[in-house]
Amino acid sequence: MNLNKQQMRILYRNLVRADHLNRMMYQRMLQGKLIGFYHPSDGAIAPGVAAASFLNKDDNLSPHHRGHGITHMLSKGIDIKYYLAEHTGKDTGCCGGRSAFHFSFPEHKVYMMSGFIGYNFAPSVGWGWAAKRRNLGQVVMNCSGDGSYGQGRAHEALLMATNWQLPIIFYCENNGMAIHSEISEMHPTEDVSSLAQGYGMPAMVIDGQDVFACAEAALAAIEHARKGKGPTFVEAKTLRIKEHDMGTPDLRGWEARSEEEKLALMQRDPLVLATTRVLAEGVLKQDAIDQLHEEASREVQEIEDFADSSKIARPSEEQLLAAAFAP
Amino acid sequence: MAELTLVEAINRAYAEELRRDDSVFLVGQDIRGGIFPHTMGLVQEFGPERIVDTPIAESGMYGVAFGAAQEGFRPVVDFMFGGFSYVTFAEASVTTGQYYFLHGSQHPLPLVITAAVGTGMRLANDHAMSIHGTFAHHPGIKVAMPSTPYDAKGMMKAAIRDNNPVVIPWHMGLMQERGEVPEDDYIVPLGKAAVKRQGSDVTILANSVQLKHALAVAAKLEGEFDVEVIDPRSFVPFDMETLLTSLAKTSRLVIVDEDWESGGFAATVSARVMEQGFDLLDAPVIRVTLPNLPVPGGYMEEYIAPNPAKIEAAIRQVCA
Repeated sequence: MNLNKQQMRILYRNLVRADHLNRMMYQRMLQGKLIGFYHPSDGAIAPGVAAASFLNKDDNLSPHHRGHGITHMLSKGIDIKYYLAEHTGKDTGCCGGRSAFHFSFPEHKVYMMSGFIGYNFAPSVGWGWAAKRRNLGQVVMNCSGDGSYGQGRAHEALLMATNWQLPIIFYCENNGMAIHSEISEMHPTEDVSSLAQGYGMPAMVIDGQDVFACAEAALAAIEHARKGKGPTFVEAKTLRIKEHDMGTPDLRGWEARSEEEKLALMQRDPLVLATTRVLAEGVLKQDAIDQLHEEASREVQEIEDFADSSKIARPSEEQLLAAAFAP
Repeated sequence: MAELTLVEAINRAYAEELRRDDSVFLVGQDIRGGIFPHTMGLVQEFGPERIVDTPIAESGMYGVAFGAAQEGFRPVVDFMFGGFSYVTFAEASVTTGQYYFLHGSQHPLPLVITAAVGTGMRLANDHAMSIHGTFAHHPGIKVAMPSTPYDAKGMMKAAIRDNNPVVIPWHMGLMQERGEVPEDDYIVPLGKAAVKRQGSDVTILANSVQLKHALAVAAKLEGEFDVEVIDPRSFVPFDMETLLTSLAKTSRLVIVDEDWESGGFAATVSARVMEQGFDLLDAPVIRVTLPNLPVPGGYMEEYIAPNPAKIEAAIRQVCA
């Protein structure tokens, strides 16, 4: 499936925005202006942009936790200012400041985040079941990392999605690392997507640093699911430049990752690769790229201004108790 | 009015709600054919699209209900035996309980968790344990349990129509319990206890099979002790007002609960009575519960389960 120039521009723009927002989150965490923790997405933003940029509003999306889902959510058209407000404990946050790093945008069918890695598999079956029953061509984009496929729930979802031919894309963003453990130690085969073979599910392995390759695969899988042809496994081989979680040691196994290793990874930064390509193919000129960066900087500023000018949520215990159950 | 068994009453509730609302469906393992009879005949009327069997994969099965509920369906998910819910308890308790509140109280999660529970079948712990106390421990989830066929139908219908996750276990010892069940559409509201017998000497709070035992003991002791019997029906929310009103009259309380002594519903109610109704009491609260043992199977089950003799002993002790 070849991308047209308009699609490439959409992807490139979202890649620039994701890059700026990841830097914003990183800086705010360093400055103590973010509640909780942050799992930086440096080097790993291409798969999420590709997975979410061409979804419809009524398609379900569960973002990968890396970058706290910001890459995926902005690509699906969600205004990130409500998430930053949440992540800073403000009353304008998407969850009223109750959730720390969790997000919820039900109107965009990004229902939740859970602290349990692999939480996305079981509800994805339900979303896929609902989509099939409604028969309106909705799809489920189930994004998570290589580590999440250690969960038995992943097996259950792959099994039931194939049994029932549900419109689910199992989109594995394989960065080769689960916290500090290498996937080669935690998974018996080279490709996580080789799991799909056991279920009779079609699978693709793609370069997760190439946002355009990722999008071609995602679009093919989305179309396959929309036509009622069932699930697809897409494995994007990506990487992780920074530590798992800011403030924790950056290890491979139990030894520090070398600076040489990280410098080598930076050569394959998805924005660097995409920029080379859009210039070479005449998709964008340099001044247009500069303008996208300026727009992204302004977007970051607006997001931060919104969050910083909002009030800290201070409901009473009685108000919280009154909100425990739906009317 | 028809006389039905408790499982027939649940079956009526399912059928009536499935007919009334196209978003209602059932999901479980072998509920089309049936391990228990409460789903009998449903697949013939509603088809396998709405009476859904899954592989033996509790997380995936629960995920069908959870995800579909987020999508606006109203699922009933049947774990067969209550103990099996523990296979996916992270989803069923934590993720379920926190979904609505933690995400800003903006999007409801209307689903019903049901399962058969309780002693009496000599099947041992994983097939005999109660789940109401454990679910009640997790905020954000309503929990209620029927003691009569009438309540079973009305409570299940209330649960299906509720916009929150509701756990409705039913006791295997009541499977064939018969009672009058109206054919019309009625609900038993969640959060309302029922005073099953008026009395002035002592209050017994007892549920499901143990309610039956409590009523039998109350009848037996007539003339000696005037026993008031209350069925909590709902654990979350719990009808504290009805209990305190009763204690204002009797000043004595025995709580019978087929759950473990430690950290169970009986412990919670006992503590609340101490906090909110201490001045009403003339004697310490007594609990009749399961001892803190994995429920043994075989003939040993009846050595440890609450029973009429233990309830009578507790009444004599609290009234001494």
